[in-house]
Amino acid sequence: MPKRKLDPVPSAAFQILLALADAELHGYGIMRQVEEQSNGRIRLGPGTLYSSLQALLEEGIIEEVDRSSAANAGDDRRRCYRLTAAGRNLAHSEAEKLVDLVRIARAKKILRGEYV
Amino acid sequence: MSERVFAFLLRLYPAAFREKYRDEALQLYRDRLQDETGTFLRARLYFDLLEDAAKGLPQAWRNSYAENPAPSLAPNAEGTPSFRMLEKEKLRPESIAIGSTLSLLALLAFGLLLSLPSPFRPLPNSGGPKSPIEAVLERLNRAPSPQTDGIATPASTPATTPAASGAIAARSQSGAAAIPVDAALKIDPAERDRVVKAVAGNLRAHYYDRDKAQNASAALLALEERGAYDAIVDGPDLAARLTSDIRSSTQDLHLIVEYSSRTLPAQPGPPSAAPSAAVLEQYREAMKQQNCTFEKVQILPNRIGYFKLNAFPDPEICGAEARASLQHLNQSDAIIFDLRDNGGGDPDMVAQMSAPLFNHPVPWFNPRANPSSTMLSPAPGSRLANKPVYILTSSLTLSGAEQFTYNLKMLKRATIVGENTGGSAHLGVFHRIDDHFGMGIVESPITNPYGRPDWELIGVAPDVKVPAADALATAEKLALEHRKK
Repeated sequence: MPKRKLDPVPSAAFQILLALADAELHGYGIMRQVEEQSNGRIRLGPGTLYSSLQALLEEGIIEEVDRSSAANAGDDRRRCYRLTAAGRNLAHSEAEKLVDLVRIARAKKILRGEYV
Repeated sequence: MSERVFAFLLRLYPAAFREKYRDEALQLYRDRLQDETGTFLRARLYFDLLEDAAKGLPQAWRNSYAENPAPSLAPNAEGTPSFRMLEKEKLRPESIAIGSTLSLLALLAFGLLLSLPSPFRPLPNSGGPKSPIEAVLERLNRAPSPQTDGIATPASTPATTPAASGAIAARSQSGAAAIPVDAALKIDPAERDRVVKAVAGNLRAHYYDRDKAQNASAALLALEERGAYDAIVDGPDLAARLTSDIRSSTQDLHLIVEYSSRTLPAQPGPPSAAPSAAVLEQYREAMKQQNCTFEKVQILPNRIGYFKLNAFPDPEICGAEARASLQHLNQSDAIIFDLRDNGGGDPDMVAQMSAPLFNHPVPWFNPRANPSSTMLSPAPGSRLANKPVYILTSSLTLSGAEQFTYNLKMLKRATIVGENTGGSAHLGVFHRIDDHFGMGIVESPITNPYGRPDWELIGVAPDVKVPAADALATAEKLALEHRKK
């Protein structure tokens, strides 16, 4: 049985999954999307970005988009990525884990308020 | 940080990573360089890149960079099972190393297990008590060598065979070079029945006392009829039980049923004729080298003669030596025979050694001869006849040495000092029953002139019981005390 590289899912990988949740993006697009969705807190460098992408590819969490069908087919040097079904499942279960944590934090009065 | 520096940083990543992502990473770097201008943003970019190297490198090295990452089939977001293809990957070096090590360990463990003695299979020569038959078979299996085979005398006829079970040796010596070991001690009901009937039959056919033979045989068959042996499944157990039953019927301790885990020689030949000249010559040479097993012949302080002999060898070869030794002891006032390491020998030598101790004929018991009771004539010229005799014994004093001890004790000619002797007479003639069973039967009546049980099984009890190691000192003290009287 292969070693699970994504258990638990590293934060960078989870950010990439979220970035790809509603769009097919290339590396730089992912980096910008992650920066945006984390309010500028997380800027993925090329090493982290591409090694994470490679890990997600190897686990079948994301896949490369066929270049001929890619939106920006004109730029042939960049690969675009999208979530696979497994990736969507993984993102879903990872988000639920976070929701559980939030519920606990709320029960322990660490987190207040109606919503997050 | 120039692009060259970043390109250098990229060289720290695995080749597969660089091959796949180098261009895109450089492109991303350029894009950021283009987008993030100004001192703060640039500084942040460089810091990001350093931090990125620290975080990304380990992950980059963990990836396998397989050609075709496992694609998901039947993608389904609803949570129904999806199938993954198992991809062929090159074996990693560490996998090969672990696999090789484990295989090697398994191989070593297997080899070790094979070399260990199995608890279910008694190994030959593994020690432990041997039955007389097994001892004989072991001798037969050894390469013929007179030096090891017959310390006492070359095997010739039952009357002159060396130690215990001489008759058995002579009758079963069929020249089988290697006798296969059959480890299974179990017997089945058919074999049990066959053995019981054969023991009964042999008793009737060969035991000298016909009436007792009939009675014992009938008793045995009656016991079998009643199912007394039905529960016995081991060969040695059956042999022991049958021995006990025929002894209690006949009151004769010289009857024995034996089980041998080794296959007994198939065709016991007739008693071999006189040993060949070559064997005799080898034996003579061996006796010469060992001084006829006469370890010490000396006069101890206080004129006590001391004679340590470890066998009673063939008088044809060692007769002169024996006479010379006893003559040497003529000058002593008392004589100690040390038989603590004496395993027996030739009954003729036993008689020849005893004769000088008497000045008148005495009744003499030799259970291996027929008749077993004769008269022993005194030896001329002996000055030992009136001197006190002490015999040192141990549990290793056997057979012919026991005959010497027993007879002199019965004749009240010697004081026995030491331990009870081994109790080995083995007078019966061996009869083969099948591959594993045989029995010893006394075929002619044994007349004991002393009217007492002989030493079969019970040994000869010492007059003065001390540990064998202390026997010599005790006997010396006794001799001194006797002289002072």
